[in-house]
Amino acid sequence: MLLRHETVLLAVLVVELVFFGVAGRNFGTADNIANIVRHSVEIGLLALVMMPVVLAGGIDLSVGSTLGLCAVLFGKLWRDGGLPWEVAAVATLGIGAAAGGTNALLITALRLPPLIVTLGTYSLFRGLAEAITRGTDAFTRFPPSFLFLGTGRVAGIPAQAWIFALVAAAMWLLVHRTTFGRSWRAIGFAPEGARYAGLPVGRRLAFAHVLAGIVAALAAITYTARFGTAKADAGTGYELAAITAVVLGGTSIFGGVGSVHGTLLGVAAIAVLGNGLSRVPATMSNAGELSGLLTGMLLVLALAGGAVPKWFAERRPR
Amino acid sequence: MSCLLQLTSVTKSFGAVRALKGVSFDLRAGEVHALLGENGAGKSTLIKVITGAHQPDEGAIEVRGERIPSLTPGEAHRLGIACIYQQPALFPDLTVAENIGIRLEDLGLFGRVRWGMRRKTAKELLRRIGADIYPDAEVRSLSMPEQQLVEIACALGAGARIVVMDEPTASLTREEQQRLFSVVLGLRADGVGIIYISHRLEEIFALADRVTVLRDGESVGTRGIRRSDASDPDRSGPTLTENELIQLMVGREVASIYPPPGTQPGATVLSVRRLGCSSSGVRDVTLEVRTGEIVGLAGLIGAGRTELARVLFGLTPADSGEIELGGSLITIGSPREAVARGIAYVPEDRRRHGVILEMPIADNMTMAVHERIFPGTWLRPVAERSLAERQIRELGVKASGPDAPGGSLSGGNQQKVSLARWLATKPRLLILDEPTQGVDVGAKSEIHKIIRRLADEGMAVLLISSDLPEVLGMSDRIAVMRGGTIAAIFPGGSDARTVMAAALGQAVGAGAPAEEESPC
Amino acid sequence: MLKRHFREFSVLGVLLCVLALMGVFAPDFFAPQPLLSRLTAAAPKLVVACGIAVVMVGRQIDISVGSLFAVCSVVCGLVAAAKLPLPLAVASAVAAGAIGGALNGALVAGLRLPSIVVTLATMVTLREGLRLAQQGVFIDLPDGLQWIGLPMIGGQYLVCGIAITVLVAMAAVMRHLAIGRAVHAVGSDAEAARLAGIRPRLVTFGVFVLTGALTGLAAVMNVVQSPQVDPNTGRMLELEAIAAAVVGGVAVSGGRGNLGGVLVGFLLLACITPALTYIGVKPYWDKAIQGTVILLAVVADGLRNRKNGR
Repeated sequence: MLLRHETVLLAVLVVELVFFGVAGRNFGTADNIANIVRHSVEIGLLALVMMPVVLAGGIDLSVGSTLGLCAVLFGKLWRDGGLPWEVAAVATLGIGAAAGGTNALLITALRLPPLIVTLGTYSLFRGLAEAITRGTDAFTRFPPSFLFLGTGRVAGIPAQAWIFALVAAAMWLLVHRTTFGRSWRAIGFAPEGARYAGLPVGRRLAFAHVLAGIVAALAAITYTARFGTAKADAGTGYELAAITAVVLGGTSIFGGVGSVHGTLLGVAAIAVLGNGLSRVPATMSNAGELSGLLTGMLLVLALAGGAVPKWFAERRPR
Repeated sequence: MSCLLQLTSVTKSFGAVRALKGVSFDLRAGEVHALLGENGAGKSTLIKVITGAHQPDEGAIEVRGERIPSLTPGEAHRLGIACIYQQPALFPDLTVAENIGIRLEDLGLFGRVRWGMRRKTAKELLRRIGADIYPDAEVRSLSMPEQQLVEIACALGAGARIVVMDEPTASLTREEQQRLFSVVLGLRADGVGIIYISHRLEEIFALADRVTVLRDGESVGTRGIRRSDASDPDRSGPTLTENELIQLMVGREVASIYPPPGTQPGATVLSVRRLGCSSSGVRDVTLEVRTGEIVGLAGLIGAGRTELARVLFGLTPADSGEIELGGSLITIGSPREAVARGIAYVPEDRRRHGVILEMPIADNMTMAVHERIFPGTWLRPVAERSLAERQIRELGVKASGPDAPGGSLSGGNQQKVSLARWLATKPRLLILDEPTQGVDVGAKSEIHKIIRRLADEGMAVLLISSDLPEVLGMSDRIAVMRGGTIAAIFPGGSDARTVMAAALGQAVGAGAPAEEESPC
Repeated sequence: MLKRHFREFSVLGVLLCVLALMGVFAPDFFAPQPLLSRLTAAAPKLVVACGIAVVMVGRQIDISVGSLFAVCSVVCGLVAAAKLPLPLAVASAVAAGAIGGALNGALVAGLRLPSIVVTLATMVTLREGLRLAQQGVFIDLPDGLQWIGLPMIGGQYLVCGIAITVLVAMAAVMRHLAIGRAVHAVGSDAEAARLAGIRPRLVTFGVFVLTGALTGLAAVMNVVQSPQVDPNTGRMLELEAIAAAVVGGVAVSGGRGNLGGVLVGFLLLACITPALTYIGVKPYWDKAIQGTVILLAVVADGLRNRKNGR
């Protein structure tokens, strides 16, 4: 079942690539591929850390807002705090950890539902970002050494792609090769069962949320480097894109089932769709809306695809 | 005497498990028909078929002579079938009056709720069964017996003609029990048919007209009972004694199925003094368990046995008293600490707590020993597999292999997986909570042998079981719990009646009129 | 009464404190015309919050209402701009809402999918679909539509009146009709509801349809307030509606909550921003404060549940 989902997704991706390769203008060029990668790194990073949260049966709606808050604070620390950007970046990762830690504390210590907690921090973090910038302020004129992260290339590959690859590899190992992944899976299937087995349920959940915060901060840095500006609205709506990629990638929203490679395929399918539509003359002008629409429908299909056979099975005459 | 309910050759399977294998059953108006059987014999499945919660795979259901092709809960309700579940199916967020009203009134979708009337009806019904419950209280604030009384009030109010009672007295006090008996006999006199499930044979002999015994999903037979109060001219078929009834239930000599006791117990492993946990109702427990010893924990449902186990395992940490393990005073604040100290707990609800059904057997078996077999948090598939394969072999788990999901196994094999998980921790103290509940007879005796072997190897075992013959047959000492504390401690091989009397809170020897020696 | 509705009354207490402080330090706040304008502008949110509260009592969630609100606004605007009669414009907006809700309901109740993901998907799909169809173009409305041809004050009273009517009607349905109690029952324990002869999936489906229809009505109430329809309207609406319900004591775990609480929560959130503005807090703190209020409300619930032994 798990395998099948990812195979289907891979097929969808191949179809997309072939279709856009034929119908699109300059779709298959090295520059365009670099472009796709550059544009999908932030959502990809968020999806990679959303995945363990969902795997453990939770959800984090606040990652996009964390990105915005971290981008703004990074700008603030660098420009107004006078820190070198490298130091500010490290401090920003710490801020991301604190944001994730806030979610973790409320969810694990007070046993509050993650949906509502992260809905609250979704508002709070974005609101803090707006308050810090007074709604309009933007941080710009970052040094070239920083902007290189978002626009430069290392060995011919976009700089942030290296960061993404590193995080993806680390997450794959964490989820599939360590006891952390095993525990998240167990908690996702049966939180009480995991507790009875002596697993540190609270700590594992907290770790997933703190990790989400840290990586959201990392995404804030690559985002700022890519656009060369840090504003309060950075990453608006990214949480939804990340959840979509995760669910599309075969992670069960009920927890327990899912894989990092599936999530990567989900991210790729969405990114290629968005870029490809902007390369096809007929859809070029509406690429943004169309890709959003198709992604939403894909998500419904991915969900229903799992549920429809069950629905028929229940109705089979006895 | 008219036939209210007739089930013919009903079968029901859950996956590979055949819970009912062609059971026939009938209920007459104005009778109390007891349904008996060990845990896992198929009683609860049969009840769920009768109340429409489960649809049978095969077989026919007739109510008052009319064939019901598809019995749904709504249909059952309409036909006057009511069930008082062990775990009441009430709405915790709604008031008592509404819980009763919502089931009694047929308002359609747009009918108007008359709150005053609801309250009045509820008050009246609760008064009739002598329950002192405030109709405006939220159900979540009620105790379990109070919730049960609300259920009975519902059935009473619905004018139910067929009432199923699933261990209704399990958590009631003596006084509440007596009141319940009079309610039951009152219903019977009104011509209601009552299906009465209980493990307490005295109750069955006090109340029932007929008894049907289920064993391993099959009906072993239906017999009349000579009720202790009066003779009844309507009685048909042979009547039977308690001993014969137990024979029917177990199907073989009770004493022979337990492994013989082992070596002399050694040093004290666990010693608790005046242990208490106010949130779970455990109070003032003083108990010792030694190496090589099986201490049975007997008592009624709700007596605080599982609660005590949860305290010892750190699920609900103690707030008073002392715990001494292997000679040093310790506190246990979480299951993790308990595991680190060498305490293992095989929980009662194995489908929710014992085994993660969706995960492979191997994952389940290593779950409590992650730190030890996966040093540095990296998974080691080879080590994991060999551990799982060894456990599968040693415990005789019947599975296609270590990768088979836990949910694909039968109850007994799931229990072995749960046990294997805890044996992997090499515990000093093993707490087993209802280890053979819902397990077929063969697996049951295998589990008994494993438990005895573990004790012989030097483990201290605390065995919680509602199956009195099991506690008596397995234990070196028997601690009886009542009201959250230890009521009495008996040596192994004690007389069942004495133990049961202690569990019920009767003075030994008093209570029901003396009868010949019986194991339950 | 006080004990059972402790939560609602404590939020009411906070609201009264805020209002009293405003009365002392910024009596301008209570000047009738700006107050009425503020209430009118917020009235559609209250109607959506009523729908959300019902969904949450039924132990579901709907985050697609913001997008659906925009779709319904555009539908209403297009029908009105085509010079079709006003009642038809209203009816088509409500119908569009009900259809959107039915889609959510079918996926949630029919296929047993979790409502958070289903409504997330419909939220994205509807929003992007609308952007594609409308290309961000505002719709000019015919003259008669603004305030339904009434003078502005009259129109404002009408919009506020509709909001209050919906609230009272929903409160009555939820409290006094069997169907309302069925929603509570399903939210409290769906299996027990099934055993009591209620059809939980039908109830869940109905709850989504109702919320959709109310969203359509709210869209109309919003459309009539301006001469144009903005196809990007309704962003964040789902959050504001959920916030009002949560602050007003509707439990995320289902089964509990009443519309009186929703009104109180809605009013508290609606007046906290102007209140803070009056005492000199800048409006860009708005969202941070909303988030804090939501978190405080959930934390209070969490602490209370923990004290009561969960």
